[in-house]
Amino acid sequence: MIKKIKASTSEKIIFIFLIFLGSLTIFSYFVIKNKCLFVKNYKPENINFQNPENIAILNVPCGNVIIELYPNISPNAVKRFKTLILSNAYEDVAFHRVIENKLVQSGDLEFGKKESLNYAKIGTGKSGLGTIKSETDSDFRYVAGSVGLARTFHNDTEDSQFFIILQDEPLFEGEYTPVGKVIYGLEVLKKIKHQRHSENILRPDFINSFKMLK
Amino acid sequence: MIIFRVILLFFILISPLKANTIYNLIKIPNLEIYEINTENKLKYFYAASSFRLGVQKNIICLSSNKKNYDEKYQVIERNLKKYSHSFLKKINLKYIVMCENLSISGINTAGIPDNVMKTLILDIEFNKKYFERVIHHEIFHIINDQYRELFNENNWKEINTPNFVYAECSTCTEKLGLNTYTKKNGFFTEYSKSTVSEDMAEVYSHLIFLDPEEIKQIRNSDKILKKKISYIEKKIKLIDNSFSF
Repeated sequence: MIKKIKASTSEKIIFIFLIFLGSLTIFSYFVIKNKCLFVKNYKPENINFQNPENIAILNVPCGNVIIELYPNISPNAVKRFKTLILSNAYEDVAFHRVIENKLVQSGDLEFGKKESLNYAKIGTGKSGLGTIKSETDSDFRYVAGSVGLARTFHNDTEDSQFFIILQDEPLFEGEYTPVGKVIYGLEVLKKIKHQRHSENILRPDFINSFKMLK
Repeated sequence: MIIFRVILLFFILISPLKANTIYNLIKIPNLEIYEINTENKLKYFYAASSFRLGVQKNIICLSSNKKNYDEKYQVIERNLKKYSHSFLKKINLKYIVMCENLSISGINTAGIPDNVMKTLILDIEFNKKYFERVIHHEIFHIINDQYRELFNENNWKEINTPNFVYAECSTCTEKLGLNTYTKKNGFFTEYSKSTVSEDMAEVYSHLIFLDPEEIKQIRNSDKILKKKISYIEKKIKLIDNSFSF
């Protein structure tokens, strides 16, 4: 006759703990690992825009970032930006410089492309269209979501690289050429891969697509 | 040594990246914002702790205390608000850094202008007697650096008496006095006699700092200074015709 052995209290606690641990592992693997889980993905087709011709849709790993461009503020810079967007030049380009909750930078068309990523030179590449003059005379306020063209230490060296700030940066005013502002999806950019100890990103996130609405 | 490296690596790994916008803009560490909402859009920073600059780290400046920053900011701002935003843009000046005991290779200096980085570093502990005038002196160096082609050194030398010779450089002479001469003989101060650019800067700073009536008297009593003053006025007007002395 087989004797039925009852589990002791401590054995029950260990069993419950193991079940909890297993659940936690599954939860962590499938849920927490998904960095985009709680990020809202805006659909441009569901939004009415006042100036649809100046709306650009940047699609990144966690969804869409909807940017309004300001040709009245920086006509030449916006013209260059639109030219590159319309030619799909920004597709598969890395966010090579990311500072947590501060800024994301991308647009190195020479050394930042997914298929030809060059960690040694990324951030120094050109578009092949030449540089353009800085347009910094307007009273543009660099608040969170502002999009500007990156440059070297010298003015008039803007090309294809751009940055989007994730917090207000009043010192950028009059320093960098503004091209627009994120109107939806700033939280999507906060999920772009960053590193705690460096601005330069190893195995970075890439732009999926960057298109004009119209 | 290995332990030291391990400790260093440990600190690097645990220290999160701190983005420093000021450093990214002007490459001077340890600065904090003092005031950025000014009428002519000059941005004022102060040294929160000492900093070293230059390839050989030979430029040193120390931090000061809040009281000192507050006092000297008033003086600096009062003097610099004379310059309009459009003029400052033309001469490429945007940032003022306040610190104390500024020195280059151990030699104390009132200010270090850098038109490339759009920055003027000012020693707020510099001799009170000359401090305000020196601000304009340093502004002239920014102007001069930005418009080298306008300020011809040979033309300037020709204004002096034929036997006068400047020193090789501003620090390779004993002529460092900043007291304004009573009897001028073509030079405002002893320091004016060091180099052409210092002479120009001294003329400019006096032109800005002295009363128009005093300048008028100097023009009438000193033929050389009259020519030097006119030279500076003419060149500054070429940069910005709306500039008023």
